[in-house]
Amino acid sequence: MQFSKKWLQEFFDDSLDDLDLDEILTSAGIEVEDVKDLAKLSEDIVVGEIIDVKKHPDADRLNVCHVDIGSKDFLQIVCGAPNARKGIKVPCAKVGAKLPNFQIKKAKLRGVDSFGMLCSAKEINLGDDSDGLYELNSETALGESIVEALALNDSIYYLSITPNRADCLSMEGIAREVSALSGLPIRKENTCKNKVSIENNQDISIKESIACPRYCGIQLQGINNNNKLPDSISQYLERGGIALINPVVDITNYVLLKSGQPLHAFDQKKINGKITIRNANQNEHLHLLNDQEIKFQRGELVIADESGPIALAGIMGGASSAISVTTTNIFLESAYFDPIHIAGKARSFGLNTESSHRFERGVDFNNSLFALEYAASLIVKYCGGKVSNSKEINSKLPQREPIKLHTSKVISIMGIKISDNDIKNVLEKLNFIYKKNEDEFIVTPPSYRFDLNIEEDLIEEVIRIIGYNNIPAIYPHMQANMLALEGKVKSIENIKDRLVSLGYNEVISYSFITKQIEIDFHGNKNSIELKNPIASNLNVMRSKIWGSHIETLRYNLNRAQKTVRIFEIASVYKAEKKGYEEIKILSGLAYGDQIPEQCGEKNRDINFFDIKGDIENTSSNTLIFEKPKKIILDCLHPGETAEIFFHNESVGWLGKLHPLWQQKFELPKNTYLYEINMKSIIHTDNVTYTIPGKFTPVRRDISVIIDKDLFVGEVITEIYNSKISNLVKLEPFDVYDGDGVENTKKSIAFLVLIQDTYKTLEDKDVNIVVDQITNILKTKFGAVLR
Amino acid sequence: MKDLKKLITDATKDFALCESLTELDNAKSKYLGKDSLLTDAMRNLSKLPNSEKPQAGSFINEVKKGIESVLLDRKEAIQRNILANQLREESVDVSLPGIKRNKGSLHPITITMRRIEKIFHSVGFDIATGPEIEDDYHNFTALNIPESHPARAMHDTFYIDKNHVLRTHTSPVQVRYMKENKPPLRIISPGRVYRVDSDATHSPMFHQVEGLWIDEKVNFANLKGVVQNFLQEYFEDSSLSIRFRPSFFPFTEPSAEIDMSWNGGWLEIGGCGMVHPAVLEQVNINKDQFQGFAFGLGVERLAMLKFGLNDLRPFFTNDLRFLQQFKV
Repeated sequence: MQFSKKWLQEFFDDSLDDLDLDEILTSAGIEVEDVKDLAKLSEDIVVGEIIDVKKHPDADRLNVCHVDIGSKDFLQIVCGAPNARKGIKVPCAKVGAKLPNFQIKKAKLRGVDSFGMLCSAKEINLGDDSDGLYELNSETALGESIVEALALNDSIYYLSITPNRADCLSMEGIAREVSALSGLPIRKENTCKNKVSIENNQDISIKESIACPRYCGIQLQGINNNNKLPDSISQYLERGGIALINPVVDITNYVLLKSGQPLHAFDQKKINGKITIRNANQNEHLHLLNDQEIKFQRGELVIADESGPIALAGIMGGASSAISVTTTNIFLESAYFDPIHIAGKARSFGLNTESSHRFERGVDFNNSLFALEYAASLIVKYCGGKVSNSKEINSKLPQREPIKLHTSKVISIMGIKISDNDIKNVLEKLNFIYKKNEDEFIVTPPSYRFDLNIEEDLIEEVIRIIGYNNIPAIYPHMQANMLALEGKVKSIENIKDRLVSLGYNEVISYSFITKQIEIDFHGNKNSIELKNPIASNLNVMRSKIWGSHIETLRYNLNRAQKTVRIFEIASVYKAEKKGYEEIKILSGLAYGDQIPEQCGEKNRDINFFDIKGDIENTSSNTLIFEKPKKIILDCLHPGETAEIFFHNESVGWLGKLHPLWQQKFELPKNTYLYEINMKSIIHTDNVTYTIPGKFTPVRRDISVIIDKDLFVGEVITEIYNSKISNLVKLEPFDVYDGDGVENTKKSIAFLVLIQDTYKTLEDKDVNIVVDQITNILKTKFGAVLR
Repeated sequence: MKDLKKLITDATKDFALCESLTELDNAKSKYLGKDSLLTDAMRNLSKLPNSEKPQAGSFINEVKKGIESVLLDRKEAIQRNILANQLREESVDVSLPGIKRNKGSLHPITITMRRIEKIFHSVGFDIATGPEIEDDYHNFTALNIPESHPARAMHDTFYIDKNHVLRTHTSPVQVRYMKENKPPLRIISPGRVYRVDSDATHSPMFHQVEGLWIDEKVNFANLKGVVQNFLQEYFEDSSLSIRFRPSFFPFTEPSAEIDMSWNGGWLEIGGCGMVHPAVLEQVNINKDQFQGFAFGLGVERLAMLKFGLNDLRPFFTNDLRFLQQFKV
């Protein structure tokens, strides 16, 4: 919504210049997005008349114009506007004139001198249209300042109005708010009375009385729709953001902006018989005013004549019955359509009109007839013709139920003391009808307010008028209950901090990703698609974060980063039979050098075990890394992938990016990816704490040759599972498969720690343990001692 | 005997020429060894008349002590020298850089969220979370936004299917929480939210923190108090003030936009209001006994202001050069 301040001034006898209008509108709950001061234009923009137009000798699209600005010489101005033609009056910026973004200088355009510029609406702040010259009324005086000629001592207010305040989508509504908050009275307007000279013979019937509880119509005959409206009306419309069409349409738009009541004018001669307000039938068509052809599904409310729909009710008229400058007889409609029946309909056809915007939110049903007759009176006044009586068909109009308002409730919600009298003042400022009983006000909201239904709605009105700014900030008193700690749950904060100290950068990436990556790379054929993605490459919800990680990696490699270690903790999404599942996971990627290049440290590329170590260091639980058995992820290197288990449940993956994908993503070095369900790392296992024994453990080393394919982890698990007494630790400290070891074998050196809680171990005790271990190694794994 | 006296001066000279402990050891044997003049004199002592023995004996001893003392001095001097050399040799260029690890960093949004959560947690707000793929009921209907209400158009919703959306705010969490818990209750719900919108100040995915306080008497003035107090702590500025502007959210009544004082003007920072009775009814809270307020703040906005950024997009581009500035 936008409006001219000058127009608003017409509603008041007192000057609005003394008010901080911006502040008043804001405290009414109307957001002022912008205020454009039209008078801030240079005196050097004046009215000029194009005397002649010649083609530029050297440029197809340019014309050389001579312009009369009322002084003795004509100005030569080069102009590219398509509508530049002899005889029109246009704003002419003289040399030296200051426009919003630049100053006019004498210039040479392709060899032709130009002494100024002819302006479009945009250059004089009257709109966004910069395609053609702004054509002035032929009666404007040559050489007159444009500020004078166009009455630009005005400001345009651009407002954002919340959906509950449909009543503010009109000048009268804005004036009501300004009056309530400023205390300035609104000027009383004379009621119009048309001189009825013809009989209204248009038959009207309402089939859908719930959707259309009120329909009013009036006929006008013998009008001249080629007349000119007064400048003030055109200016108010333009400054209200509405394009000028023809006098009758302009008048209906003027009444719409003024009162908030949408009107529609039909060419009476093109209406075939009786008008019916009904639901559309399937397969009926309507060619709309904007040239859009719509096909009805069924149930859209239409205005129809005997040959079919002629308007999409409350949204837009049809082209066949549209009026033009040659129209002489019109039928003017003013109706009340139920918001619920209009809501969403315009959008479903890709439309959003001034009319639908208002009907969806609620139009004052008590004003339909008045607005209709007012518009008719303006048409007669400016276009001549005869006017009929009005027809009005009513059924069940909305009722405004009285609402009880208790001062005690107002105090309880507001948090400050106010009196009955304060509330009375508010209700009077708002012109609400009310009764005062013992401890309550009984308030009947006006017909133009669709947002007042319960006591709280009225409380908001009270606070609004008293002023949101007058409510103090008071910290509440409360019971000082303490919150439980998280117990055995480790916080996400803790996990993140560990990863950060391990050298990882936390990233946050979009939860949606390209479908192709989801299917091919994440291996999810059952992806969750967005119906209306923001971009075609962000069209499904991700089931893994790796695709986003790769994107981040590539982005950073392109910016000369050599080492990338990133993680993200976020939900991933899966479509399951019972619905959508969201699983919070930790996901990471590592690429490049193990440590940054620097003096004094030997560098190498990161490897599988660096990352495995990072995961182990992040989790407090013992995680088991195994060669995957059931599921194989195509995106990872089959020989360098581990499935991660926690309590025998698969909880994640770690692996090297498959060489084929590495090639596809054009990554020069190995990339490691991992993911792990947060559940397995934030829930900490029960731990039994013990005091270390007094006796120092004895260390023995055992060196064996085993098959290369054998997993050392399995060997260790087997030995631990044998529950050898006094064995406290068994760990590989060297793995070798180079020279001196058979091709199919590898050499492993284990460190063994042996300790007794109660005594210092003697050699023979130690040997018993070592023997037991070597025995298992030999018999179960075919190991040969070195 | 007199010659013996000269030994001390000779030894002093000889010892002074020694640069290492080995040299000193060799020189020592010349004066104190088996074949030294002093040992000779000791051996010859028995040949002297008894009357001279004590005097000669103590004289020899004196010379011996003299030589030993000179020897010790020199030994200490050499040791000092060696240490000094060692220290000199071992010294490093302390200006060379320390051993670098990879520079880990926390995302600025995480840093901001933690700050918000800690401030609210300090007065007993619990943290609640909920799903991001939300059903229509929790995202809209339960929050008093029925089907075809124009307010739905305010939300630029991402649709998954007829009945599911990407949540447009974290408000559905309050619905879920109120259904599970009895008042009085105080929560904040931080998390990702989604709207079909993208430019320098809008991202299709962003973060919100929603706060909710339901009790018997908490009121609009309290709401102002809590929000102002939070912003003062968040921005570490006790003079920061806020103003409320009337606004409209279907799930609160009265509703307000929150502006805070910033660089001499006002800056919009969030929305709030008293929980609408229709929402309380949806979650079976007795609206005659309880009332409360809710507020929503944009995390990116708070982060941008705190870190002095004017573009929101770098939060989601994940340029390491940007991220690595944010240390824990």
